Amino acid sequence: MLYKLQVSGMLLIVGLVIEALSLCWNNAFSFMSFAVVGGLFFASGLLLFLYSLVASKPAAND
Amino acid sequence: MPGPQTLVFLLIGASILLILVVVIRPSITASREGKILAFVALFIVPIIALGVGASEHVERSEQTQFCLSCHIMEPYGKTLYVDDSAYIPAAHFQNHRVPADTACYTCHTDYAMFGTLRAKVEGLHHVYVYWFGTPMDPIRLYHPYNNRECLHCHSGARSFEESATHTAMMDDLKSNKISCTTSGCHDTFHPVEKLGQVKFWKPTE
Repeated sequence: MLYKLQVSGMLLIVGLVIEALSLCWNNAFSFMSFAVVGGLFFASGLLLFLYSLVASKPAAND
Repeated sequence: MPGPQTLVFLLIGASILLILVVVIRPSITASREGKILAFVALFIVPIIALGVGASEHVERSEQTQFCLSCHIMEPYGKTLYVDDSAYIPAAHFQNHRVPADTACYTCHTDYAMFGTLRAKVEGLHHVYVYWFGTPMDPIRLYHPYNNRECLHCHSGARSFEESATHTAMMDDLKSNKISCTTSGCHDTFHPVEKLGQVKFWKPTE
């Protein structure tokens, strides 16, 4: 689970960096970069994080 | 007070920092507080940052500069500077009858309930056709220009209401039975085919 958290975090960071870069210009290309490329990374990171929540094994009770 | 773009960048920076905490020390999620932090950092805050960034992009898509950033729109941008008051877009743009920084959007959006949303969806279609399809040549509107978009501003204006011509056909104008733009009265718009023959206004600034 920890590994999935790290990977989802990295995906989200890439998505956020793409978002920040796309806001440096004002044209159709930057908008599409944000929407398509950034959106893909965001979606992947969010979905992986949610999957890590449901896929994690419950802690054993002592 | 920082501007909207600065605030967006600050939010993105804060999001990245929060996520890095979880990425570098994922073991903090062993505790309840760590789990809450991970949820906020990896779900709540990125969604907020995404929403704010999307909102900023959507606002920017209304700007004239955005529309003219595609090469195919360059001639249409030039027609805004034609030195002839008979050309409607030029007269509106040069005299600030529409906001100069959102000139295209002001006229090329529907003022119905979901008009702005529809305009933006159509804008996405423009981008798709420009990149992956074959743009029309010459470019034409998808639908006939609705008088509503003219009347949105002109209706109720003194010069418009007191014109005998407009008064005589007001009902037909409001019902789109007579078009403002194709009935021989205000038919001159973007003379892209005549750019080599017209004079241009040069603004002082």
